[in-house]
Amino acid sequence: MYLYLPVALTSINIMIPIGLGLVVGLLSGLFGVGGGFLMTPLLIMFGIPSTVAAATDSNQIVAASTSGTYAHWRVGNVDFKMGLYLLLGGFAGGLLGVQAIKILKATGNADFAIKMTYVLLLGTVGTYMFFESISSMRKKKVETEVKPEKESAFAKALSRLPMQTRFEKSGVTHSLLLPVIFGGFVGVLGAIMGVGGGFLMVPIMVYILRMPMHVVVGTSLFQILFNCIEVTFLQAYTNHSVDFVLAVLLLLGSTVGAQVGAVFGRKLKGEQLKVILAGIVLAVTVKIIFDLTLSPSLLLGQGGGH
Amino acid sequence: MDKAKRTAILLLVIALVVLGVAVLADRASAELTAIANHDHITIDFFYHGSTVSVKGIADPDADLIIKIASPEAHETLKQKGKVGGFLWMNVATLKLENVPNLYSIHSTKKIDEILDQKEMDKYVLGYPALGRHVEMSPVKNDEEKAKWFDEFIKYKENSKLYATSAGKIEIKDKVDGKTPYYILTDWPYQAPPGDYLVTVYAVKNGKVIEQAESKVLVEQVGIVNTLSNMAKKNGALYGFISIISALGAGFGVGLIFRKGGGAH
Repeated sequence: MYLYLPVALTSINIMIPIGLGLVVGLLSGLFGVGGGFLMTPLLIMFGIPSTVAAATDSNQIVAASTSGTYAHWRVGNVDFKMGLYLLLGGFAGGLLGVQAIKILKATGNADFAIKMTYVLLLGTVGTYMFFESISSMRKKKVETEVKPEKESAFAKALSRLPMQTRFEKSGVTHSLLLPVIFGGFVGVLGAIMGVGGGFLMVPIMVYILRMPMHVVVGTSLFQILFNCIEVTFLQAYTNHSVDFVLAVLLLLGSTVGAQVGAVFGRKLKGEQLKVILAGIVLAVTVKIIFDLTLSPSLLLGQGGGH
Repeated sequence: MDKAKRTAILLLVIALVVLGVAVLADRASAELTAIANHDHITIDFFYHGSTVSVKGIADPDADLIIKIASPEAHETLKQKGKVGGFLWMNVATLKLENVPNLYSIHSTKKIDEILDQKEMDKYVLGYPALGRHVEMSPVKNDEEKAKWFDEFIKYKENSKLYATSAGKIEIKDKVDGKTPYYILTDWPYQAPPGDYLVTVYAVKNGKVIEQAESKVLVEQVGIVNTLSNMAKKNGALYGFISIISALGAGFGVGLIFRKGGGAH
């Protein structure tokens, strides 16, 4: 069955957005990412204008991450305190990022530098996560006792920062500045790249903030939820590019997918989740490299996508 | 009535009949008509494109060209190019002026076989004529303009907004010295609401000898219209409703799963 999308001004087979929503929602519930990296280009491929695809996706993520956050909160896997500080940083970072884009655009050739940085960052993070989680899975098999936490120089430096506070849910003690700074960093990148940044936020929470994987997923979703509320409103208000009908079709799939992902995620160990996520991050990196190097079939297109 | 009078009346009648036939014959060779059957297309929730047929009568010796187009406007598109020798990225912005968003052209024979270039350009018939009509920037020379115009056509044909065909117009048997013609074209759902003009040109000896017009109006109706107006005119409320609905749906599905799933 086809439905007409009043803002995208095109018609779509309803099974496409519902199916896409289901898959992306599943990833969201499992790993705490928004899934814009997958959803936006696929929507464009199915004929949705790029600005509408990005804006509508953020509206859909509001629903998927509400569903996911709720599912993770029920089993006590959302660190609200950490989430709030990350949000604070993310909000400031988003504003900064918008200014950064203006400066970068003025210098010309910024797209190239930004895309290369993003690809390198994703590639490095994905590779590191992959090998780290594989080696920790092996270690656990060999020695059953928990290895004593060795404090690295980096961790020591972090513990000397002012405003140290305890994050109960995550079981970690950090300076309040830490989530604000890293939230800000991801916010800047997100604004520049036009993506939510879940792929960078999750590894930061795991490796730098040293939070347990299951709490990371829930907290990341909580943070994404508020980010996407802000983005949806701004897009609807300034660009008029949110398609309500498309968003409803997408969320029919994604809210259910997020629940299934959350349930499924509980059955997996933290390391297993990390290894799969690392695989997906690497696959996304390869996909971006392909997109950049293969000759496109059309040399002209609408602006506004990522 | 005397014989002379009767003869005079007969002559008069004959003269009138001859004159009438002559007038009718003349009209048959000089009148072109065009009717678009589906002149008001309404877009509702279940709209998935439509069809538009154009029919009329024409001079049997003339070739026909049917043009369906939206009013000329400007378009801004991103140009992809290679950076550093191997990476494809958006490298520039191409601006086009005097281009219709929808341009669909159908002819009885290939346009360049039946029409002089001057006439093609005058009425903007066919891609080459449109290419000469369009203003494009930034382009350094004609070669570059031709290259990007080709890319533009590819982009438009890909979204079904541009189309051409030759030989698809059905020409039927002569009726009273005129030939009825008929063509059925697909109306793409990608065509946005608006006014579209259908123009039929009769062509003889490389020149356009006659034209006839008809209109197609595409309009959103019902909920589609309400939503699209609200998105444009009341962005804040629209955004608010979108967010509240998403929150509600996410929370609602969460509750359903809690009851149904029995995780606790």
